[in-house]
Amino acid sequence: MSGFHPARLLVLLVLALFILLPLVQTVVLSFLNTLPRDGLAEGTPSLINYRNIFASDDLRASLGNSAVYVLLNVALCLGVGLPAAYAFSRYRFTGDRHLLLALLVFRMTPPVVLSLPIFILFAHVGLVNSPIGIALVHCLFNLPIAIWILESFISAVPRELDESAFIDGHSLPSFFLRHLIPAIAPGIGVAAFFCFIFSWVEVVFARILTVTGGKPITMAINALFTFQTDIGLVMAMTVISLVPGVAMIWFVRNHIARGFTIRA
Amino acid sequence: MRQTITLGALLLPALLVMGFVAVLPLLAVFNYSFHDIFSLDQAYWIGLEWYEEIVTSDRFLSSLARSLLFSGVILSIQIPLGIALALVLVRLHPVLRVLGLMLVALPLVVPWNMIPMIWLALVNPDTGLAGRAMAGMGWAFDYKFTALHTWALIVVMDTWHWIGLVVILACASLSAIPAPLYRAAAIDGASRLAVFRHIELPRLAGGLAIVLLLRFVDSFMIYTEAFAINAGGPNAATTFLSLDLGEDIKAYSYGSAAARAMLSFLVVVTVVWAFVKITTRGREA
Repeated sequence: MSGFHPARLLVLLVLALFILLPLVQTVVLSFLNTLPRDGLAEGTPSLINYRNIFASDDLRASLGNSAVYVLLNVALCLGVGLPAAYAFSRYRFTGDRHLLLALLVFRMTPPVVLSLPIFILFAHVGLVNSPIGIALVHCLFNLPIAIWILESFISAVPRELDESAFIDGHSLPSFFLRHLIPAIAPGIGVAAFFCFIFSWVEVVFARILTVTGGKPITMAINALFTFQTDIGLVMAMTVISLVPGVAMIWFVRNHIARGFTIRA
Repeated sequence: MRQTITLGALLLPALLVMGFVAVLPLLAVFNYSFHDIFSLDQAYWIGLEWYEEIVTSDRFLSSLARSLLFSGVILSIQIPLGIALALVLVRLHPVLRVLGLMLVALPLVVPWNMIPMIWLALVNPDTGLAGRAMAGMGWAFDYKFTALHTWALIVVMDTWHWIGLVVILACASLSAIPAPLYRAAAIDGASRLAVFRHIELPRLAGGLAIVLLLRFVDSFMIYTEAFAINAGGPNAATTFLSLDLGEDIKAYSYGSAAARAMLSFLVVVTVVWAFVKITTRGREA
């Protein structure tokens, strides 16, 4: 198997063209002045869009809001998902497979279906307009994914690791911290990556749970669409919204395709 | 006994979170669907009336048909394409493979409401790269008023968005194939097709089951992206189930929206259940 087969390189090239074309368009527009302004003709290259983002309190705040609930969500999914994944991997109990499957069904429940009752429920307990509310509701689809990925990584670790640690007198929490987490570090990275991106890109819940404040970056972009939309500003904001995701891809690049092995 | 307590402690936090964000809201939707709701403290029990009204309406049936057709198109394009790309990627030099995986993962990190904006900018006949190219070739691409073009745009956009997930998961299954299997096949003089049929496909099947389900559900309930392209038009040609549901919510018709939501959920659960039945039977046999 040679690594540089010409036909395969061609496939990679066509793929790159298809994936990058829309993104190139986005980046190009973000560096153009797209509204008539004094002393700056439409269509001239300029950094004005990026300057406008950092001049706007709303846009800057939205970046922070998104970052807070996404990080909270990742922490929550890993913290709650890791023990559950360990249980699914190491224990046999009645209905274990069914429970894992039921979790996946919730991942597949469309957000639109649940948006109304979630709003009412969260309004009751004071979680509307709060990053905690969004972080919690994103567990609906991220927690099953996290459990599923972590379960497959834990199942790849031999049981002897657990047994020898318990013989050495480790308690379950100290075994988790000292042995299990280091052993499945790539799995934690991959799980964190998927939780991060799915929370970062989600729109439906992020919209209904931010009525008056705490608007995330997605809603800040939506709010830019007005009678006279500055499409360059929209695209600049989009480019900025891609930065954390691209950084995450870079961090997990060598492990991204592992951790989805399915146990029969 | 001790083991049961430990097991409970491990699972409890996850079950509590899922109970709060999934089970409780789902029960609430189920309850709303039997009520006529004027405001939240003025709800009247009407039994199955919403369901009868919806199931017998042309509006529901035609959007159900559109959603099923859309999922069918999406799956029949993205699954084979994703597998083909993964087969190419796993044979590339490791550096190029990682590069390819990073590439297909890119669209996954774009906020969903921006995906239609990016594509609309791309096909804009005055300023978009693809739009100008098509105009230059004299090809009138009109996603606003030609149903086929709207469909094409949404299908291409969705493929761009999600092909990475299929490729990543297919690559995961393929790279788990031990090298000796390939060597044995080469010694036996197996053709490329035979290698795919007898070595790669069985390995792919397990991993792809989940991709198939995820892609089915997500395409079946596509909302944000499809709505922003043409708001369900032209002439309701892209009004999928979730867009219908969105209309009801926007009109504050909560009882009817809840019944629609339950019906969609029912379709999803039925398909997932049938799928699991079929695949586990195949495995036991």
